[in-house]
This record gives sequence, C-alpha cells and structure tokens, in this order.
Amino acid sequence: MNKELEHSFVEQLQKHQNIVHKVCRLYTNNADAHNDLFQEITIQLWRAYPKFRGDAKFSTWMYRVGLNTAITLYRKSKRRIRTQEFDAVEFKIKAEEYDDTEEQQLKLLYQAVHQLNDIEKALVFLYLEDKDYREISATLGISEVNARVKMNRVKKKLRTILNP
Amino acid sequence: MDELDLLKKNWTKGEEGFKSFSNTDIYTMLHKKSSSIVKTLFYISIAEFAFWILVNTLPYFLSETYREKLVTSYENPLFLGLSVLSIVVILVFIYLLFKAYKSISITDNAKKLMESIFRTRKVIKYYVIFNLVMIFISIPLSLYFEFQQNIEFHDQVAAMNSAQTLMMLAVTVVITGVLLLIFWLFYRLIYGILLRRLNKNYDELKKLEV
Repeated sequence: MNKELEHSFVEQLQKHQNIVHKVCRLYTNNADAHNDLFQEITIQLWRAYPKFRGDAKFSTWMYRVGLNTAITLYRKSKRRIRTQEFDAVEFKIKAEEYDDTEEQQLKLLYQAVHQLNDIEKALVFLYLEDKDYREISATLGISEVNARVKMNRVKKKLRTILNP
Repeated sequence: MDELDLLKKNWTKGEEGFKSFSNTDIYTMLHKKSSSIVKTLFYISIAEFAFWILVNTLPYFLSETYREKLVTSYENPLFLGLSVLSIVVILVFIYLLFKAYKSISITDNAKKLMESIFRTRKVIKYYVIFNLVMIFISIPLSLYFEFQQNIEFHDQVAAMNSAQTLMMLAVTVVITGVLLLIFWLFYRLIYGILLRRLNKNYDELKKLEV
C-alpha cells in the first residue's frame, strides 16, 4: 500500500515538478539553494500526501504546500550570498541600461521581483500563475480586499525599484 | 503595459531551463531528512524536557546525601505538594505539546500555519517559564529546609548579626537572578534566531489587516 502511494506520488510530482521549480526560482538565487528548497518542498509534499484527498487538484494543492514551505518552514537562509550576487548583477545591468530590448526588461524585472520580501513574492507568484484573488487570499490567509490592496502596492514597489 | 504583465507573458517560457528531476531523483529526495523549522522546534522541545527532567532527577541518583535529604523533605506536605505538582505539570505540557504539533498542518493557509507554529513555541516557552519559576521558589525553600533540619547551619544563621543575614539573603537573590537571566537570554537567542524570518513574514501578513 505504502509503495503504491509512494509510486503515485512520485509520478504526479514528476509531472508537475515545474510548479516547485518556479517557487524555488523566486525564493532562491543559486543552484544549490534552489535544489535544497526543492528537496524540502518535496519532503513536505510527501508528508502531507496521505491527507491529500483528491478533492482539490494535485497542482493546486502543490502551490499551497510549496509556498508554505518557502515562506514558513524553510530554514536555510543564504542571505549573505544573495546580497553579494545581487550587487554583481545589478552593476552589470546598469552598464547595459540603454539596451531596451524586451529581454533586458525581463531581466530587470526578475531582479526587481527578487528584491521583494517573502510575502510579496508569494503574491507575485500566484498572480503570475494566473490565480484569482479568491485563491490568493485563501492561500495566504488574508482577505480578498487586502490581497488586492497588497497586490497594487507590490506593483507600485516594483515600479519604484525599476525606476528609482 | 503593466510590468508584471510582461513577466506574466513570459513566465512559462522560463520553464524550459529547469532541470527535470527523474522519478529516481524524487524517490531519493523523499527519504532525505527535512530541515524545517518545525523539525528543529521539535528537537528543541525534546531537549528541553530531557534537560529539565535530568536537572530534577540527576542529583537524586548521584548524591546519597541529597537522596537522604530528599526523603526527609517529602515528609513536609509543601515539598511533597510541589514535587507532585511538577510531575503533573510535565505531563500536562507533554500533552499540550503533542496537541500543538498535531495542529501544525502544511496545507493550512500561510497565516494559520504560522500561528500554529507560534502556538507550539509558546507551549515550550511556558514550560521553560514554569521551570524557571520553580527554581526561583525552590532556592529560598531549600534554604529554609536547610535551616530547619541542619543543626549546624541553623546555629550558624542564628549566630549571624543582621548585616550578615542580609548579606546572605542578598547573595542568594543575586545568584538566583543571574541564573535566571542567563537562562532567559539563552532562550531568547535560540528562538530569536530560529524564528526571525517567520516573525518577519507573520508581521507582514498582520500588517495588511490594519
């Protein structure tokens, strides 16, 4: 029974692993940290799996466990490395500021999103994943109105980071 | 166009760059140890119980004189009462802690999850406070017992002038105070480091409600 459960879990996670990767991409800044967080989310998903009843979609359920792990349970913070990397990347981008291709803009946007705090990142993540405010509010435990207000503030903050 | 919409448009494109983990990779990950806050909190609470139980029982097994003293002090209803109380309290705390851990669920929303972790932490905190209070009570109490039962000590204290008695009391108070302060700082440090990020994120969510 346990083997069967494990098998079905691994199959499903393998199929939907990009969701976990996307969470890791947002919350970490190097490959080691990315894989570390990926592993922790996998462990948490597996622990919670026996209670997963299938009344929600596997992927929806993954969003919640993934984000909760990233903003609440995950302990290994690589803050020092992160800031160093930031400085280097930012410096490089400033030098190429006039190259106004979409790709450049995207790169800057990623940098800006990385500077947000954990909760703001969660909002952005759910927004990018095309979740509505009802789901965002249910995932974070805040009201729908507050989720909207916060989202607007995050957008404003991003704009300030991009055009200081 | 909104900045975020540009990112959204390209959001899924970046997926191609992800390393794809195979079933075997995922199997291996499943059996790795978690390094989550909850796990650490759990270890700390186990250590906490072990430590305080050892502190309370080790002298009994190590020192014969202490054992004899303890046996005589149990004749005193106050001392017996305190000992029974501490055993009951330990059992209550183990139950509360077990309940608190059971209520931590990763599938709750973020805010609720954080709250149940804080609740667990609080149970541990109250347990520590209880032990510190017990230390605080038991030091003057054991002095009093010593005074009552140890004739030598009784005579020594009786022979002291008021300045000496005051001095002895002051020293006792200071030592107890320093001991408590060290414990308190130690706990602040452990939980401060462990829960710093969690506190920050919780505050961020709370701020939205105001």
